[in-house]
Amino acid sequence: MKPDLSVRIGPLVLPNPVGTASGTFGYGSEYEELMDVDALGAIYTKAVTPEPRPGNPVPRIVETPSGMLNSIGLANPGIGAFVREKLPELRRRRCAVIVNVAGSSEADYLEVIERIEEAAGSWNAAAADEAGKAGEGRSGVDGYEINVSCPNVAHGGLSFGTDPVQVERLTAALRRATKRALIVKLTPNVADIGAIAKAAEAGGADAVSCINTLVGMVIDVRRKRPFLARGTGGLSGPAVRPVGVACTFKAARAVSIPVIGLGGIMCAEDALQYLLAGAVAVQVGTGTFVDPRIPLDTLRGIEAWMEAEGVARVGDIAGLLATQA
Amino acid sequence: MLQFDAGILSNRTIAPDWKELILRWNPGAGRPEPGHFLTLRPGRGSDPLLRRPFAIASYDAGRGEGPSVSIIYQIRGSGTRLLADLGPGATVDVLGPLGKPFPLPTAGESPILAAGGVGLGPVLYLARRLEELRTAASAAAVPGAAQASDGSTSQAPAPFVIGFRSAVLVPDLPFPPGLVLCTDDGSTGFRGTPVDWIAHNASSGATRIYACGPSPMLAAIARLASGRGWKASLSAEQWMACGVGACMGCVLPRPAAAGGASQGFLRACADGPVFELGDIDWEKA
Repeated sequence: MKPDLSVRIGPLVLPNPVGTASGTFGYGSEYEELMDVDALGAIYTKAVTPEPRPGNPVPRIVETPSGMLNSIGLANPGIGAFVREKLPELRRRRCAVIVNVAGSSEADYLEVIERIEEAAGSWNAAAADEAGKAGEGRSGVDGYEINVSCPNVAHGGLSFGTDPVQVERLTAALRRATKRALIVKLTPNVADIGAIAKAAEAGGADAVSCINTLVGMVIDVRRKRPFLARGTGGLSGPAVRPVGVACTFKAARAVSIPVIGLGGIMCAEDALQYLLAGAVAVQVGTGTFVDPRIPLDTLRGIEAWMEAEGVARVGDIAGLLATQA
Repeated sequence: MLQFDAGILSNRTIAPDWKELILRWNPGAGRPEPGHFLTLRPGRGSDPLLRRPFAIASYDAGRGEGPSVSIIYQIRGSGTRLLADLGPGATVDVLGPLGKPFPLPTAGESPILAAGGVGLGPVLYLARRLEELRTAASAAAVPGAAQASDGSTSQAPAPFVIGFRSAVLVPDLPFPPGLVLCTDDGSTGFRGTPVDWIAHNASSGATRIYACGPSPMLAAIARLASGRGWKASLSAEQWMACGVGACMGCVLPRPAAAGGASQGFLRACADGPVFELGDIDWEKA
């Protein structure tokens, strides 16, 4: 029997557990010629802020051992241009669309969500059930991923995500503004990720996703200065995978809401580590840069593994993990 | 753009630490034009991780066996070292063609082509293409006529000015006519940079400079072209992660607006890599 790949995130049912991580996939159309974007479970858009942001000075990226460091700085055209230019094309998507939201203050996050709610209309569960089927009647936005974990901006971002009190307050405020799925994206740059996950749950989040990038630095010894213009950046790629799996394991044991795992997924086996650790869904990020075939190959590999192992539902995978006492 | 596994036809040394890689090209990807680039994955593992971008240096439609393209690269890091070890028969994961190509010269424009160091590839492909067009136009022209069918003069090959530090670094490649070799140390050809040569030798008039090279060279070309009222199509070489416009890692600064306000950035991969004069502040790139 074919396994059931669908995954529930609050009010939203994703057709399958594999999505593409925010900041690595634009708004979906960038990869249209290279893959069947609509076969994904979800796309998580580039972060949207109230105002247009040009982003950080260059150089913004550098390769590291089995990874990369980036300091893009939430470059995006702002909520006005998002609603005008990106939302119409997102309405044509058949996969779920999760808009990543960022800001420097609580008011910034609220403004982005309120403007999208106004433009996309309030949550319509009947239309949302059409995710994975026809594009007719789709609002273009199925949920929000709240970025309280960007290491590359001076205000907001990481400073929210490391404080459980602020995470709970922000989540609660955003919860009042939308009935769409609300996912809080956690940073690994904390002592206890479980405490932050609990704060998101207490604020009313439908899920948490982890991990955002780890703060890192590369120094150009010849020129005696940091390689990235901004000094530090966010580390991603296979190098961070064990950190992501451990954070997923901890977060899944701290909360009863779903956990979405990401960090260094390059194949189905990597994704299965996250699902065994307690995630119900995963995101492929840097892996898509390396090989745009990775997201859908990962999905096919998960399905094949479930068939071979006789696992009926994605949510059943986490229960299979054997741990030593 | 298309992602495909490409067979390697040859991978030969053309200068110390410089190689030319010839790859089978998938015709489904369409014909790449001068200025287009490709990315390839040098290994199959996770270190080095990212794809490497390379401008296309030639295209051969092939006979029977299908088309091929070449890239020119300098061995200078872990990715290019892996690439240098691949031989005929191996395959490599290719994605292309990417970016926006050079605009061809319009009627009445006299092209000058300039390349420095790793910028050789795309300008060499353009020089080869312009030479093909010139030869075809000459063959088609009525004897004695100076105008090609598109109205451009078709008699002299476009100056193709390339610069290297020294004669020993000049690559072993078949160059089209019009070649002007420049070396910093004067060990062969003109002593100085391609920009120096153009500043001294180019006639005034309707000129379009095509160039690729390090940012300081492109900044110098941009200054020269602005000063003389020439057009310029300049191709950037940038670090990039995705190559398709998603990661925002390869951006270049736009010139500041009146009053000094930043106008943000353009992506080398998707908005370029070829930019027209005034698109980019090369002094800050």
